[in-house]
Amino acid sequence: MEELIEKLKKEVIEQLNLEDISPEDIEADSPLFGEGLGLDSIDALELIVLLEKNYGLKIEDPKDGKKIFHSIRTMAEYITEHQTA
Amino acid sequence: MASAVNKRIYINGVGCLSPQLTLDNRLFLEEPVSTESNRLKAIDANYKEFVPPEMVRRMGRIIKMGVAAAKTCLADAGCQMPDAIITGTGLGCIEDTEKFLGNMIKNNEEFLTPTAFIQSTHNTVSAQIALLVQCHGYNFTYVHRGFSFESAILDSLLQIENGRASTVLLGTADELTANSLQIQKRLGFWRRNPIDNLKLFDHPDKGTIAGEGAVFFLLDEKKNSTTYTVLQDVEMLFMPHSADEIRSQINGFLNRNGISESDISLLLVGQNGDTRHQKVYDEVAEGSFPNVPACGFKHLCGEYMTASSFGVWLAAKIMKEQRIPEILQVSKKPSELKHILLYNHYQGINHSLILLSQP
Repeated sequence: MEELIEKLKKEVIEQLNLEDISPEDIEADSPLFGEGLGLDSIDALELIVLLEKNYGLKIEDPKDGKKIFHSIRTMAEYITEHQTA
Repeated sequence: MASAVNKRIYINGVGCLSPQLTLDNRLFLEEPVSTESNRLKAIDANYKEFVPPEMVRRMGRIIKMGVAAAKTCLADAGCQMPDAIITGTGLGCIEDTEKFLGNMIKNNEEFLTPTAFIQSTHNTVSAQIALLVQCHGYNFTYVHRGFSFESAILDSLLQIENGRASTVLLGTADELTANSLQIQKRLGFWRRNPIDNLKLFDHPDKGTIAGEGAVFFLLDEKKNSTTYTVLQDVEMLFMPHSADEIRSQINGFLNRNGISESDISLLLVGQNGDTRHQKVYDEVAEGSFPNVPACGFKHLCGEYMTASSFGVWLAAKIMKEQRIPEILQVSKKPSELKHILLYNHYQGINHSLILLSQP
């Protein structure tokens, strides 16, 4: 899990072009939206594409997005759970 | 034929991001930048000084260039909010367009992300400026190849003439990418071998140097302490058949502005060192303005579809400072600069005349 979290941090930084932010600056449990990284709705679309492209995971119910993209850890948990399912 | 406008419309602020050190308005080409290449790259600013970090990460380079030039211009004019924003661009946000199309091909039309698509539209520069300064007024972008800037000028003048705006932020932005440079190289636009841009006119040959940049002007119906010049008139000529036709258009253009050839203090020409396009410049300069000091400017900014905006920036600075920088190599210096005429053409297709006068 920790390995996946570190990988995800790098992918999110690259996908969202988060300048001046390194993986060490992102807390695995910090909220991605609002507080924390302060991401917005366009970033949410970018993250949906990231999950589909890099992990082959499609979010079927949009309501799940809020929970999945709460933090890097929740994203990692969703990937682990669904890739092995 | 009457001039495009009856009002005197002033340029009260400028912002120019180019391959030269032009963004700092205190400077005026004292130290020209020399590059041994067939491409002149605009000198990037520290964009974080102009755009909040959460916005800058999504912006393509052309948008950052445009925003930096626009905000410099507004600050120069002491204007918080223009009534309208009108821009011209030849190829628009081509870097993001390439990114979006590249991803479509690479990923078999799947996994398309929104950012590059949103940023790829031609009006993104003027839209981002409007968002940053919270300008909800008229916002328009002209994409007419070599007439893009000239069309934006005409609209700006008419907006003020018709009382729809008192101030207009008028500008251009065009960027070069590796792909666009390569494609245009295949079309024979650029020099085959690198050349020192400052020696471009000393070595005429086929092809020229590619350029890019973003230039903005704050147009105002009122003159004030920051005024540079009067943006008097603009004229576009599409594919004229001969130099005689161009000279005839110039006569009509000067007549409708109440001046003659001898009133022109300086002729700025868009020559670019390409032998295939030089003849018409020589015929116009020698035929219509044999006694008028003339000089080119594209050795400083390179050739691109909105390069004439760099020429207008140059003319505005010359008019305000009443001096011509050494690098322009004018044969004889005029005693007073009252009227500057810019004659430019893009690929022999889009010819334009822009007249600037002393305020």
